Amino acid sequence: MAQKQAAKNNKSQLLLPQALWQKIGANYLLTNDSGHYAWLKEKDFALVTAGKMAEKDPLFAELAAKGFIRNRLDFNDLAAKWKKKNAYLYYGPGLHILVMTLRCGNKCLYCQSAAAGLGAKHTDMPLAVARKSVDLAFNSPNPGITIEFQGGEPLLNWEVLKNTVLYARKKARIAGKDLKLALVSNFSLMTVEKAEFLLKQEVSICTSLDGPKALHDKNRVSSSGSSYDDTIKWIKFFQARHDKQVPEYRVFKPSALLTVSRYSLSGHKEIIDEYVGMGLEDIFIRPLAPIGYAWRLWDKIGYDAKDFSIFYLKSLDYILKLNQRGVVIREKMASMMLDKIVNFRDPGYLDARCPCGAAIGQLAYNYNGDIYTCDEGRMVGWEGNDLFRIGNVFTDSYKKVMNSATTKVCVVSSNLEAQPVCARCAYKPYCGVCPVYNYETQGSLWGNMPANDRCGLFKGIFKALFMLLKNPEKAAILKKWVAK
Amino acid sequence: MKTNKGAKEIFLDAGIYSGEAVKLAAFVFSDKADIRIVPGKNVFKISVRAENAERAAGEFLNEVLNQQCRIDLAKKNSKIAGIIVTKALLSAAGEK
Amino acid sequence: MKKQENKTIAVRASLKDQNLDVVRYAAYAVSDAAYVFIKPAGKRAVALEFTPKSAAAAKDLLRRFKEELADEQKRAAIFASNRDLREFMILKALAYEEIPPSGQREDSGLTPEQERELDALIAQVESEIKKESFGKKVKDPLGITRTWEEKYGAKTGRKK
Repeated sequence: MAQKQAAKNNKSQLLLPQALWQKIGANYLLTNDSGHYAWLKEKDFALVTAGKMAEKDPLFAELAAKGFIRNRLDFNDLAAKWKKKNAYLYYGPGLHILVMTLRCGNKCLYCQSAAAGLGAKHTDMPLAVARKSVDLAFNSPNPGITIEFQGGEPLLNWEVLKNTVLYARKKARIAGKDLKLALVSNFSLMTVEKAEFLLKQEVSICTSLDGPKALHDKNRVSSSGSSYDDTIKWIKFFQARHDKQVPEYRVFKPSALLTVSRYSLSGHKEIIDEYVGMGLEDIFIRPLAPIGYAWRLWDKIGYDAKDFSIFYLKSLDYILKLNQRGVVIREKMASMMLDKIVNFRDPGYLDARCPCGAAIGQLAYNYNGDIYTCDEGRMVGWEGNDLFRIGNVFTDSYKKVMNSATTKVCVVSSNLEAQPVCARCAYKPYCGVCPVYNYETQGSLWGNMPANDRCGLFKGIFKALFMLLKNPEKAAILKKWVAK
Repeated sequence: MKTNKGAKEIFLDAGIYSGEAVKLAAFVFSDKADIRIVPGKNVFKISVRAENAERAAGEFLNEVLNQQCRIDLAKKNSKIAGIIVTKALLSAAGEK
Repeated sequence: MKKQENKTIAVRASLKDQNLDVVRYAAYAVSDAAYVFIKPAGKRAVALEFTPKSAAAAKDLLRRFKEELADEQKRAAIFASNRDLREFMILKALAYEEIPPSGQREDSGLTPEQERELDALIAQVESEIKKESFGKKVKDPLGITRTWEEKYGAKTGRKK
């Protein structure tokens, strides 16, 4: 065949052992499986791919050290970096999301969880389900287990939540596992008593903050006045407790999640300033996912990947300007991608890894004990399609859940080695696809990457990050984000 | 390619598009358009019926190509892809 | 290349010096901008028809396709020359461990079948690399071209 003949002709000349590349402007970004990257001018790229770069060329040593020269491979170094970056391949699911209730007092425009009304008490997770969920979570071989309490508004099911926290702590002691507990709340029902319990049990606190009051309240409509006021009051409370610290237990810094709706697109500076003003040091600029309830309202609140990219890049630029003035603020998605690019480290970002974290990195436990591959999969279930349901805590064992056909197909379909565009993409060593997103937007778990908005978005972010890393001053700032 | 009322006919050469790719694409399209496949001698006669048949046929063609490229890649890459999937699933199941 | 009335852009690609899958992928890579149809054009060529999804998308289409084709040819050649090496490197990475503290290796995490395959691949690839480098006086003060066995000694048997 022509290909084999071409390879035979080239074999003695080829220098590259394996490489992925992307032309950006006049230069080529070269990457490899281990996560090394190098920038090449067009003429150097031509020399390397033709196998004609001379050893005395100043670039030769750099390329050799990074695993781009076939007969100069340091197998141990490359293997160590690959393994470190893909550490998740060696453990089971670490994140376990317990949906304590579907009830919520807020009616957020984009709410993926399609919250139920306050009267829908049948959607509260019973204690027996919560305990069974924790039991199943502890069957994961992962030495570190994170249990995240979500909703609806999880504080609406406070007694069960409280009991589950104590139960999980006891399980962790017996199992000898490292347990992290996290609460995602809108704070509308937070009280000092609840806060004290959560602090003492070292539960980390996360809320949603969409920006200044007007924008936040527009996105996150509350039935009892301003959702912004509750959010701010309790962020300040938990910040103060974090700053004070006590010897008896660790108090984590509170964190917040930003969801970008169409109304947010014109206000990147105001949103970031709001985070800085609250003393938050991380902002996670997440695009709205056209999944579940949000998909139905897409015409009103959605936007295309290009609009989000513009917003994201303006935000990143503004954050870097603030950093240059000494303000501490980082963008979370960029931080996680940078951790892979700069440190060859697995940042635990379940949405951008290969295979994706569905089932093998996280599990979502619905109020009734149904287990889903992830929270996004649960949203699809709530819309009436249980494709991503992989079991129930009462009827299925952990092993059965991991061996379910859905688990396997999510792993197979999110394996970038099986995705034609991804397998050739320069950003593959740092990226990942989402079968739920693909299914919801393109009708198949594999999706079709050339026309996939999420793919376009990630490519835009990676391109921006690599361009920023070329600038020594900006690279120094970005590297500080992930220096730990 | 021929267009009738709400339907478009496409003839795909079997030497360029495999039957597997055509069938997989039809499956993906099952809730977007009515796809009929009639295999002939070295050709697949495909009828795409949808509200906008012209556009649906174009998207169907791209989906067949998507599936075909996936199959092409699997021929080259299935070993590495299999190793990664196996490792991920075994680790998650607690089996080393 | 010719532009037809329905704005479809037609282009012919030879299969004499490239495989059909190379052409197919290059066409697929631009399918964000156009609907793609491929048909035979004689014994050793195919005809590609791109129907742009928008006027803006039509602008760069042919240039992009040609660039993708050139890139894919390079990828195919590199892939064909390095398939075994890459498989070896991934297996090596999966089984990689820091130097064990107690002298006893932990389980590699691979199945017995993968272990056997890994051993065979290690032997095969290292022998290939040695053959390629044999006789060449390459400056290598840091020893980065040496295998880990040359650096650290032979491995002990794997614990199952």
